[in-house]
Amino acid sequence: MVKFLKMLSISVREGTATRKYPFESPLVTPEFRGKIEVDPVKCVGCGACTRICPPKALTISYEGDEATLKYFVGKCIFCGMCAYVCPQKAITVSREFELATWELGDLYNEVVHTTVKCGICGKSFTTVKLIKEVERRIENKVPEDLLEVCPECRKKLTARKIGSKVVGVSGE
Amino acid sequence: MVSNGGRPNLEPLEFNLNVLEEAFSKLKRSIWVFHLNTGSCNGCDIEVLDVLTPYFDVERFGIKLVGSPRHADLILLTGPVTIKTISKVVRAIKAMPRPRLVLALGSCGVGGGIWFNTYATLGGYPNLEKILKEAGVEVDKVVYVPGCPVRPEAIIYGAAVLLGLLQPKSKHRRVTAVES
Repeated sequence: MVKFLKMLSISVREGTATRKYPFESPLVTPEFRGKIEVDPVKCVGCGACTRICPPKALTISYEGDEATLKYFVGKCIFCGMCAYVCPQKAITVSREFELATWELGDLYNEVVHTTVKCGICGKSFTTVKLIKEVERRIENKVPEDLLEVCPECRKKLTARKIGSKVVGVSGE
Repeated sequence: MVSNGGRPNLEPLEFNLNVLEEAFSKLKRSIWVFHLNTGSCNGCDIEVLDVLTPYFDVERFGIKLVGSPRHADLILLTGPVTIKTISKVVRAIKAMPRPRLVLALGSCGVGGGIWFNTYATLGGYPNLEKILKEAGVEVDKVVYVPGCPVRPEAIIYGAAVLLGLLQPKSKHRRVTAVES
């Protein structure tokens, strides 16, 4: 009948198992992956993270003369692939997980880049910082006339050059 | 859109807002929750079970899992809301008494997660909200809890934010990239 009293000695020995979470630190290990942080100083806006992101939580959109790198925490699956592929090591994985909010807009983080306009068609195609970074990495070996030309115009330009060299035809 | 199964519509057409506000102000602790899986991968569901175990023990806040939405104050909505579950989800939310509270859990519940644009899902609670509006079902408060899966602590934190005991930490941030 008094068999259950056995439990009392066990509970005295083992103590309380319950975490007092809101009043003590959470059980977060060093390996835990939470919300990511994009460093606006290091980020060049190349978009490598937006291509690897499985749920497309990171997106880059060109509007006017601004390129916005948008991070929507609500879609993020915290895989850390963006931090792995970032060539500038601008993305760090923090251990922040207390992200609850009633406003969906609070879950957006944005980094705004200024864009470069194509010298021929006038369309903005890449960010200023990315062009500077490319210049720095290949030690100023890019031909001056090709640096600020968008990929489509560059194709036409190259085709025209080859055409004039091989066939001897100038123009279109 | 959603049939009532032949039963009379019990919700009065002109809802007394004062009564609702009074009920809402009284709702500070001891909320009863109903766990609604809308096609999730069961990751979040396991974390919801974790919250109810003695280790995290949400019953110290009076939070209790109930078996019917008719008894519940809060719905724990997990999953990206698959097309097949829409009618059942709307019926479950409609069966709740006002004030209705929803805790959208996980990346799927908040923004669709990796199923954000497939043909078989709605892509999270924000898209379900439009369907609920069409069906005439009003939800009084929603709190989004991101995480894949959500940590048990994050669910407790979300419930505290929902009840107004804590202020949310997340803020919309828009910064301009600076030259190094």
